[in-house]
Amino acid sequence: MITLGGVHKRFGHVEAVRHVSFTADDGSVTGLLGPNGAGKTTTLRLLSGLMRPDRGTIEVDGHDVIADPIPAQRAMGLLPDSRGLYPRLTAREHIRYFGELRGLRRAELAERTRRLLEQLGLGPLADRPVAGFSQGERTKVALARALVHEPHNVILDEPTNGLDIMSTRAVRELVRDLKRVGRCVLFSSHIMQEVSALCDRIVVIAQGTVVADGTPDALRRQANRDDLEEAFVVLAGLEPDAGALP
Amino acid sequence: MVLRKELIDGLRDRRSIASLAVASAMTPLLFGIVFTLVAERRKSADEIALPVAGAQYAPAFVDWLTQQTGVTVVPAPSDPEASVRNRDEDVVLIIEEDFQNNLARAVPAPVKLVADVTRFATLPKVNRVRALVFTYSQLMGSLRLISRGVAPSVATALRVEEVEVSSSQQRLAAQLGMLPLFLVIAALAGGMQIAIDSTAGERERGSLEPLLLNPVPRGAFAAGKWVAASLFGCGAVIFSLVLTITVLRRVPWHDLGIRFTVTDAGLASLLALILPAALFLGAVVLFASTFARSFKEAQTYMGMLILVPMLPGLVSAAYPLSNRPWLAPVPIVGQYALAADVLGGTPPRPMFYIVAGVSVLMCAVALVIVTARLLRRETIIFGR
Repeated sequence: MITLGGVHKRFGHVEAVRHVSFTADDGSVTGLLGPNGAGKTTTLRLLSGLMRPDRGTIEVDGHDVIADPIPAQRAMGLLPDSRGLYPRLTAREHIRYFGELRGLRRAELAERTRRLLEQLGLGPLADRPVAGFSQGERTKVALARALVHEPHNVILDEPTNGLDIMSTRAVRELVRDLKRVGRCVLFSSHIMQEVSALCDRIVVIAQGTVVADGTPDALRRQANRDDLEEAFVVLAGLEPDAGALP
Repeated sequence: MVLRKELIDGLRDRRSIASLAVASAMTPLLFGIVFTLVAERRKSADEIALPVAGAQYAPAFVDWLTQQTGVTVVPAPSDPEASVRNRDEDVVLIIEEDFQNNLARAVPAPVKLVADVTRFATLPKVNRVRALVFTYSQLMGSLRLISRGVAPSVATALRVEEVEVSSSQQRLAAQLGMLPLFLVIAALAGGMQIAIDSTAGERERGSLEPLLLNPVPRGAFAAGKWVAASLFGCGAVIFSLVLTITVLRRVPWHDLGIRFTVTDAGLASLLALILPAALFLGAVVLFASTFARSFKEAQTYMGMLILVPMLPGLVSAAYPLSNRPWLAPVPIVGQYALAADVLGGTPPRPMFYIVAGVSVLMCAVALVIVTARLLRRETIIFGR
């Protein structure tokens, strides 16, 4: 379970995140939806403990991220915005490196690596250096290394960005599996179909603040729109005068 | 674990390996070439073919020259000055027409020595020729005095006798004075590439953020990367030193009038001095490249960093550092000072090695701690 309370972060004169509060529950998929530059990535960075908020509280499974990020990081698996790989290492070595940093035992790690590679369809590429991988294959490697320790809380920053249809499907399938086994999944996206296809709850974020928070149905009701995309446009304040729509 | 990954990654990186190879090969090559050239130059002064113009004006002088060991007189080119200027000849001796005349009248006889002082390589040869001419002049002068019934020693007011106090070992140390500096540069250059790749490079690739998401203290990351960079640096130092000594053992030292005597114990002492310094230098390059915003910026810093250890090296050329073991606790300078003593054949007491090692390692650890702190900064992680 992930809880953010009144989180604030400014860079110089820019208030990137203003009073963001929301909860992501276990056994459900929470979508962080917002236009580009709304503060999604910053929010997730604050959550990861790599960035410290100016104000507010962040807890992951009851661990205070701000006071000591390490216990919280143990309970999290995070696919960050930057998913750089080491071009000279193979897919398997990437997963093993992160597994070792997570303190996994050798036999267990080998087994999980094999399973993840298979699940993401990376089997045939496992022992090639990632330098020659496509965008989608790279994202899958990054995803696999973020999930190798079977984290209870899974946080994905725009996981399907740049993926083709089959890869997108594989990622969606993975998210559903995680939900089925009771994990807490939080992912950010600016793509409507994705959010509507997967999420139990949507947190709409715009200009650094939470503008709506609820089930897809609740959001449609709140915006008084049948179409979720329309509802998003209204809620995110992208269309200041909704009545002026043609 | 961080160390193992960085080593695997580093060993697969052509650039890291290339920098290690260059760092290792530079010193032995340089020393080998320089000393071989110097030795050959000395030798070239012993066996000279001297072009003489106007030999017909002074047959006695030319005969005398021919009798000197290692001297062969050859005909001079038609334009001696041009040929020296064009580097066809190193030195040309010109005997003027009225040589014999002046000699007969006991007036100084004109002789021209054509040479180019900017060509350092020819200096030993030119000096040899000058010395020959001077000797002949003295000889003739003495003969004249004798023929006039005066003892030649009357004309010699002073007699200079040079007493050389430096031992053969110390002369060797003077020749090898640059060795510690080169080893320090090898340590820097060897670890540089892997340090940049594992810090600035890591951020530029976008792999730093995912890495730091792992629940591992920052100190562990900094330490792993530090040891990886330092091991490459140490590797460069060891290869460099072993290769240099191997090369130096083949240099014709007898031509330089020096006996080459660096023992295995001396080698071991040098390594005992320089390897802790390599750990410190690893920490320095790691810190600098963590601080840098990009790969390019890091490489710029490295270029400047390489110049820094040269400063004490250059100063020590003017103010020798030997016999100053109290410098031991100063990082790098201490190593230079103690290494000068090792090469000079008066190894410092073991305590000084320990002082120098501990001091330089403490500085290294302090730098690694600062680097770990840097890795906590948002501006460093996200590269703002």
